[in-house]
Amino acid sequence: MRTIVVGLGNPILSDDSVGIKVAALVRERLPADAGIDMTEAYAGGLRLMEAIAGYDRAIIVDAMKSGAHPPGTIMRLSLDSPATTRNTLCTHDGELSTALALGRDLGLAMPESIEIIGIEAAEVEQFGEELTQGVSGALPQAVAEVLRLCGVRDFALKRGRP
Amino acid sequence: MSRISIDPITRLEGHGRIDIFLDEEGDVANAYFQVPELRGFEQFCVGRLAEDMPVITNRICGVCPEAHHMAASKALDALFGADPPSAAKKVRELLYSAFYVTDHTTHFYALGGPDFIIGPDAPPGERNILGVIRKVGLDIGRQVIDCRARNHHVIKTVGGRSIHPVAGLPGGWSRPITAAERDEIVVIAKQNVEFALFTLKVFDDIVLKNPAYLDLVTSDTYSHATYYMGLVDERNRVNFYDGMVRVVAPDGAELVKYHARDYASHIAERVEPWSYLKYPYLKAVGWKGFVDGPYSGVYAASPLSRLNVSDGMATPRAQEHFERLYETLGSGRVNNRYRPVHFRLATHWARLVELLYAAERMLELAEDPEITSPELRTKPGPITGSGVGCVEAPRGTLTHHYEADERGVLTRVNMIVGTTNNHAPMTMSIRKAAERLITKGKVVEEGMLNRIEMAFRLYDPCLSCATHAAVGRMPLRVHIRDAIGGIIRTVSRG
Repeated sequence: MRTIVVGLGNPILSDDSVGIKVAALVRERLPADAGIDMTEAYAGGLRLMEAIAGYDRAIIVDAMKSGAHPPGTIMRLSLDSPATTRNTLCTHDGELSTALALGRDLGLAMPESIEIIGIEAAEVEQFGEELTQGVSGALPQAVAEVLRLCGVRDFALKRGRP
Repeated sequence: MSRISIDPITRLEGHGRIDIFLDEEGDVANAYFQVPELRGFEQFCVGRLAEDMPVITNRICGVCPEAHHMAASKALDALFGADPPSAAKKVRELLYSAFYVTDHTTHFYALGGPDFIIGPDAPPGERNILGVIRKVGLDIGRQVIDCRARNHHVIKTVGGRSIHPVAGLPGGWSRPITAAERDEIVVIAKQNVEFALFTLKVFDDIVLKNPAYLDLVTSDTYSHATYYMGLVDERNRVNFYDGMVRVVAPDGAELVKYHARDYASHIAERVEPWSYLKYPYLKAVGWKGFVDGPYSGVYAASPLSRLNVSDGMATPRAQEHFERLYETLGSGRVNNRYRPVHFRLATHWARLVELLYAAERMLELAEDPEITSPELRTKPGPITGSGVGCVEAPRGTLTHHYEADERGVLTRVNMIVGTTNNHAPMTMSIRKAAERLITKGKVVEEGMLNRIEMAFRLYDPCLSCATHAAVGRMPLRVHIRDAIGGIIRTVSRG
């Protein structure tokens, strides 16, 4: 089973970068032989679909701005969830579900399973490399959640003990 | 007074909102296009090293990182007083041409084309790239995905990294093209030319041969006679990477042609209390409000604008299609050049003429003996203090302006991005379409709203990739409100 973890968002737009930061921390903690690929993407659309084509499973980590939860709240979503994350739609190349349907129509191998981890953001309109406090505080739990989805439970793996 | 809000604008903008206000009679009193601006980019940059700007600015937005990378690299050329060797300019333009091919292809098949290929009144769930392939055939979808893939491969090869290139440096480019890579790029460029010709044929068959669509394209609803802006080469032909900024009047007469470093002498920005957006206008003509005509300083910068300011295309087949566009839609020639076409929906056609030009230009550059030269860098000189870099982004003229101290630390950053040029024209186009389509007694229906969105979508605006739309769905909610804000009726989709 081939799995890809995608950190989605803008790396210089405050809390919008949380997906990318989580993915980077997951990368550090995953053993090299875990067989899990990591990537960052800005948004998508077609681009996101192209990034996850060929994998059996995709885990997408993205900021969300529902306004209904305190910043830092972590939600597990699916493509059918009524809740929202910010970057699975791109102004230029469309929405992910349409792109996935296109990929399937064209016979591309689309992941059987797509899970979305949404992290409630506070500031997404101000440029900056730092997360706000509430969102920053959620990083360890978000990383643990992605690792759990990846089937990696022991942080000690990072230190090379299988 | 009642109010209709289109929020968010489907397929294009999650943050953006169109507000249409109706008077007591049910006619449109006014229409606004509003978007919250991202803040603090200048503060983010000031204090950083100028040479980091090509990799910082290409993170502003994931849609056109290549355009920001090029504008930033050119601004650094000026800031460090290092004019790149000719091979470096060619390599940059080669990458940029590949980028244009992907960008214009994506817009036509995923965003702009569905309104014609599926139809402007079709249910929104069908007006997308899926609907396009279901109507025109799976093979078209494959071609679109293949076109994106092969050009992304070129961008990664030449730019040193996928999506966000890293090879731009003050005075040049860091990564030479090998002979083997060149051979591969030649093949890809040839495929692009074929694909562009095929796409123009699709446009011809589906839009131009359909009298109802031709009427729509040439209707007054989607027409504005403004000034136009675009970069031109030394023979006044379209160029995306370099040249002088040319501005023509609604009748086609050249108002001014200037070097991009002088942009502040020619462009001023209007601020309106109801929007975060600034509205650039021509200083020499002045701001007269959201109106068109020769006395209003409003200008547009778009694919159609670039064709309108130029005397022609620099490649042969694009030139043929350029002539065909103006012979079909234009109103004759004056002073050996075509008069501007003001039908804004013709922007979709102009975009495809540019697609062909980008493909042909990419092939020319790939076959240029100098393209594999390792001489790609002019050594930076002393810092000049100020640098302006300008390219044509797919969405309009893109200008970066940096000021730095003697150590190269940024002290000021200003940018006019492609879409910003078109804020006033977009607002005018939305107002006009709303005025024509929503009149007293008419029921506001989905197809009508889409026709208003079409007035906006043709500019291919890129405001922010972020959106609050539901995952997997793109809702559109329209509230028709009474004078005290109570909702009389809601039209929703999604």
